[in-house]
Amino acid sequence: MLEGAEFYFNVDHGYLEGLVRGCKASLLTQQDYINLVQCETLEDVKIHLQTTDYGNFLANETNPLTVSKIDMEMRKKLCREFEYFRNHSLEPLSTFFTYMTCSYMIDNVILLMNGALQKKSVKEILAKCHPLGRFTEMEAVNIAETPSDLFNAVLVETPLAPFFQDCMSENTLDELNIELLRNKLYKSYLEAFYKFCKNHGDVTAEIMCPILEFEADRRAFIITLNSFGTELSKDDRETLYPTCGKLYPEGLRLLAQAEDFDQMRRVAEHYGVYKPLFEAVGDGSGGKTLEDVFYEHEVQMNVLAFNRQFHYGVFYAYTKLKEQEMRNIVWIAECISQRHRTKINSYIPIL
Amino acid sequence: MAAPGLRAQMDSLLLQLLRDLEELEAKRAALNARVEEGWFSLSKARYAMGAKSVGPLQYASRMEPQVCVYTSEAQDGLQKVWVVRASAQTPEEVGPCEAALRRRKGLSRTPEPESSPAPRDPLNWFGILVPHSLRHAQASFREGLQLAADMASLQIRIDWGRSQLGGLQEKLKQLEPQSA
Repeated sequence: MLEGAEFYFNVDHGYLEGLVRGCKASLLTQQDYINLVQCETLEDVKIHLQTTDYGNFLANETNPLTVSKIDMEMRKKLCREFEYFRNHSLEPLSTFFTYMTCSYMIDNVILLMNGALQKKSVKEILAKCHPLGRFTEMEAVNIAETPSDLFNAVLVETPLAPFFQDCMSENTLDELNIELLRNKLYKSYLEAFYKFCKNHGDVTAEIMCPILEFEADRRAFIITLNSFGTELSKDDRETLYPTCGKLYPEGLRLLAQAEDFDQMRRVAEHYGVYKPLFEAVGDGSGGKTLEDVFYEHEVQMNVLAFNRQFHYGVFYAYTKLKEQEMRNIVWIAECISQRHRTKINSYIPIL
Repeated sequence: MAAPGLRAQMDSLLLQLLRDLEELEAKRAALNARVEEGWFSLSKARYAMGAKSVGPLQYASRMEPQVCVYTSEAQDGLQKVWVVRASAQTPEEVGPCEAALRRRKGLSRTPEPESSPAPRDPLNWFGILVPHSLRHAQASFREGLQLAADMASLQIRIDWGRSQLGGLQEKLKQLEPQSA
């Protein structure tokens, strides 16, 4: 690809970049969060959100207002914006958007399979699926018994097809295997997305590749942390780590052998980016958890993506920042509805 | 007369009742704290995992109880309530069968005796790799269960104590007019 995106980017994608920058400017500010934190009930939260870019999005909701309704409506709003971007995009931005939706598709597939395991009706789960990950073959997912069934019958026509390389096995889909399937699919997806960005080159690669490397390493750390004390073996664990991050290959090998948090911390200390993150983790229930620290770092990287022009990373960064905003609002709403205000300020402001 | 003896009995009963009430209040406060903690940890888990990953979609509408409530009569005729985990029952049944399996180990792999399937940990409804906040939530709710059983036993004792006290007061009233 010729370097010099500033010469030809605006021809195809200028309108959408302008639009997404406008959307980014309407994210909630620190003052909005301060107002939300002072609310006493969810109705107050709804009133405060009316003054922001969200407007009357909860106007049609019947009483009583619940946190899950707020979450659902926010998600629908994000989906409308995303679909608008996607419908107006040209290649290769359209492929970029398709890659972005794959992660939600994977979540939906897993949700449907778990629902089949719990003998829930398909309609009930379809209503709760992430709207960004919708695809036409979704209703048929629950009939599959094994991963190869799933692939051949249902997913072969979807964008998820290329990610099934390592996941084809004849094991029946029980909880352990569904979890392994989810993580292996996500690993293949992330590696494919990384390769796409790297091959695209130019500013997009400069912005997206570090973001995706961090995502890969973060998944490796979180999988390791959550696997302590479970029945997942170390070899199985190693097969779930995405290899497109900074930890590959030595870090991942060390991480696969870790047995507790301190060993994990020692692995992270070899890497200049991750050492300060682990140092910021609080002890016990008082301070920040590792997930909080990772979310903060992700927000920082996404905000910095807007400092460069003429790349696709702004769309990815905007979507992720919007999701963090939704997480913040849901957190504040849960603290208010449970009347547990001690940790209400643990949201991550997007500056 | 019987009155001073009755009064002494009433006093000790009253003291016991007040002690039980105090314990009940303490346990109630602890239960509320545990349940609040549990729900809050669930919110934290939702923050980490995504709002749709921890909710009613993840469990079946019909499920096998893991913990059962038992009652029994103690010596003073009072009922005592406690909770028992379902898995705590199986060791007695599996014991002798295990020995039999061991002896036959050299021959063929005999299928396991058809005992009730090991109860699945509800934590696994949400996947194998769950964040620690979900584990904390489970621990908080488990402690809360035990407290709830203790509170039920205490409540039974308090009700019994009150009825005893009422009975003694009646007896005292009957004795008083006679002695006056």
